[in-house]
Amino acid sequence: MHVSLAGITKRYGAILANDDVDLDLVPGEVVALLGENGAGKSTLMKILFGFQQADAGEIRIDGRPVVIDSPRAAAALGIGMVFQQFSLVPALTVRENLALGHRCTPWWIGRGARSFAAPVAHLRDIAPEIEPDLPVSRLAVGEMQLVELAKVLNLDAGVVILDEPTSVLTPAESERLWEQVRRIAAGGAAVVLITHKLEDVFACAQRVAVMRRGRMVATLDTSSVTPDALVRLIVGAETVTTAQPVERTADALPRAWIKNLSATTAAGAIAGVDLRIAAGEILGIAGVSGNGQQTLADAVAGLAILLAGEVIVDGETLQAPRAEMPAQSAVAYLPEQPLRNAVAPDLSVAVNLMLKRIRDLPWRSHPSQFDADARERITAFDIRPTDPRATAASLSGGNLQKLVAARELAGAPALIVACYPTMGLDLGAAAAVYEALFAHARRGAAVLWISEDLDDLLRYAHRIAVLHRGRIAGIADTAQATRRQLGAWMVGHSIDVAAEPAHA
Amino acid sequence: MRDLMLSGPGRVVGTTLAVLMLTGAFFLAIGRDPVELMGLIVRSAAGDGYAITESLVRATPILLCALATALPARLGLITVGAEGQLYFGALLGTGFVLANLGATSAAPYMAMIVVAMLAGAAWALLPAVLRSHLGVNETISTLLVNYVAALLVTWVVYGPWKSAANLGWPATADFPEAFKPSTFFDSRVHSGLWIAIGLAVLLHWTFVRTRWGLTLDVLRSNPRAGIAAGLNWRRNVLLTMALGGMLAGLAGILETASIQGRLQANLSAGAGLSGFLVAWLARNHCLRIIPMSLLVGALLASGDGLQMFANVPSSIALVVQGLLFVAVLLVGGYANRLQVRRG
Repeated sequence: MHVSLAGITKRYGAILANDDVDLDLVPGEVVALLGENGAGKSTLMKILFGFQQADAGEIRIDGRPVVIDSPRAAAALGIGMVFQQFSLVPALTVRENLALGHRCTPWWIGRGARSFAAPVAHLRDIAPEIEPDLPVSRLAVGEMQLVELAKVLNLDAGVVILDEPTSVLTPAESERLWEQVRRIAAGGAAVVLITHKLEDVFACAQRVAVMRRGRMVATLDTSSVTPDALVRLIVGAETVTTAQPVERTADALPRAWIKNLSATTAAGAIAGVDLRIAAGEILGIAGVSGNGQQTLADAVAGLAILLAGEVIVDGETLQAPRAEMPAQSAVAYLPEQPLRNAVAPDLSVAVNLMLKRIRDLPWRSHPSQFDADARERITAFDIRPTDPRATAASLSGGNLQKLVAARELAGAPALIVACYPTMGLDLGAAAAVYEALFAHARRGAAVLWISEDLDDLLRYAHRIAVLHRGRIAGIADTAQATRRQLGAWMVGHSIDVAAEPAHA
Repeated sequence: MRDLMLSGPGRVVGTTLAVLMLTGAFFLAIGRDPVELMGLIVRSAAGDGYAITESLVRATPILLCALATALPARLGLITVGAEGQLYFGALLGTGFVLANLGATSAAPYMAMIVVAMLAGAAWALLPAVLRSHLGVNETISTLLVNYVAALLVTWVVYGPWKSAANLGWPATADFPEAFKPSTFFDSRVHSGLWIAIGLAVLLHWTFVRTRWGLTLDVLRSNPRAGIAAGLNWRRNVLLTMALGGMLAGLAGILETASIQGRLQANLSAGAGLSGFLVAWLARNHCLRIIPMSLLVGALLASGDGLQMFANVPSSIALVVQGLLFVAVLLVGGYANRLQVRRG
């Protein structure tokens, strides 16, 4: 199925999201769609998937113009999409989830879904080890992604669109996904991979299309392009500065002590986590998503009820729940999924930027008084749109990350807990957030940095601890850490290393 | 078209047209002339001085109950408990009066009001604590305790507090004059109306101009983010519910002391539920609540006129109130769909 998008133009108010964009999707080929946040990648794919209608331009399938006015119409034409936000029903089993949208499923599936084999056929191919009768809520993020992929394959899709599929995956999971992507293409489908990561491009794309500010700036064969050239295409004339690693201060005293912490939340459990972070130290936490990272972060930030242990900052014990802590909190927290965890979506950007100061406001306060203050930080962190009165819900994921970073990294926190702080950010914005984060480390703050990006962890963290099933499986100085070792800890091998206390 | 439908005035016009059409269709369906009946509703609600004051009387408890609903709603809580809080406020307020029948000064009058308001708060705190500490759905629990409060009132007026002077009618003894709020001129309109309007304005100002209003906005929008910012969600659940309960309790004792003059069953006449409807229609905007409760109060007050002059049951007014609700849902749903579709 040869799909061609021609002259696609889409305008949102004053913003031209897509400006006369052409793109050809050829059977058997993987196209990587690259670009910064707001470059128009998602808009283009939403138009192809029927979520949005183009203002001008047309979509042809095998030369015949088609109208795609809903995702249902797209699915009928054999276009499938895997979103960043998964659309699985957590309470149902993998098999039931796959049966839900499957054409062979009768309306009365009920509990009898157990007997359906057809919906899981593709899943068996791409991930034979996923148990189809397990509830989706028990799967790791990487596994959910594969289930989503199987769901799209079940449509017999001729075009498969993947929206930043590797942003939440471990290196091993990413590799596996790349392999599946290559296989799907080899099977005759056209695959579009929306991504920020250059490694995705070189791992599995034959062709790379780069968008910038709504325009398609280049379409190239992957084999004919270097990573540097791609980066230049993505950011245009702007120069990319990468963040400077922070010098490690020798013999610094521990500033934050996460002492023997145990906690359980809906997101998972941690047990006996003991970490000491020196002043100015960046301690990276690696691990497969869903191994207790969120619980650890919540517990340290005071949002989870502790079963045991303490968090000691500057010799002072911070107790959970956070609501009972003094107003000027010593902990800055950049949680994962900012829209869910860190912003008030229907309030303005200005209000969201000063969320932590509400308690110190005078009794008579009106949101408009924060605008001037907000403008400053909006500029400093390049948050778009720049209107301080825009609602937080109208911001893209990347800009929400910037908003939360702008708020939490203001002031002088003693301990910073950052979860995937650059997820969904383009290279330039990620460097800016890292810079802001590391500036606090230079100042002497203790940084607990949860990430799944081993490259960044190895580049910037001073030590890396690996979380596996809620416990610290191992901890190593970055200088001595190897990917093999970290990878082994991630899957729980040589867990005995954790038995030795590993403190700063 | 989209902007028009999404704008405030556009919705009001759309809703008005929808309610006229629905009501007209309903009147046709029961075999009456829509124009004649609608005209009669207007005349019965606002045709002369007496009709207007009766509409205001009817609107007063509705306004207070709407505010009682809007307060927790600022935190995102959906409570239907104003009805029960109204009954409980009336119950304990009456208890205080019965214990001080001989009073003549103003002090016991104020004490009666305070007792009733605290009773309303207490009745609201029951589901509030269940919500804040155990996560029990506040909509269901407030609905259920409504019945308990109403039945408690029924029990006391048939049982222990029944006055022999009523010749078998289930009610308490009449309130002494000292416990009746002042009324205006010859009408039954009492000072509660001005208190309620004043409270609505004060609450509106509090919500949009103070730190507390902002705190509630944040906690409503995302409790998790609010808690992470050091705001106290639990305390605000208790606070908004209790303050709302106070207003409903006030409505209960004013209605009892001023309009009925004694405690009897069915004293609310659905004011709590109408108040919920009004708060919902006004989308919990305290200034919009004022005209909306006057409108719904007038509509309900017209029921008696309809029964008298058009020979239709007075419950027609309740049907029209229901159709108003349906019209708002229809128009709101349509506008939301427009919004979603056009992105």
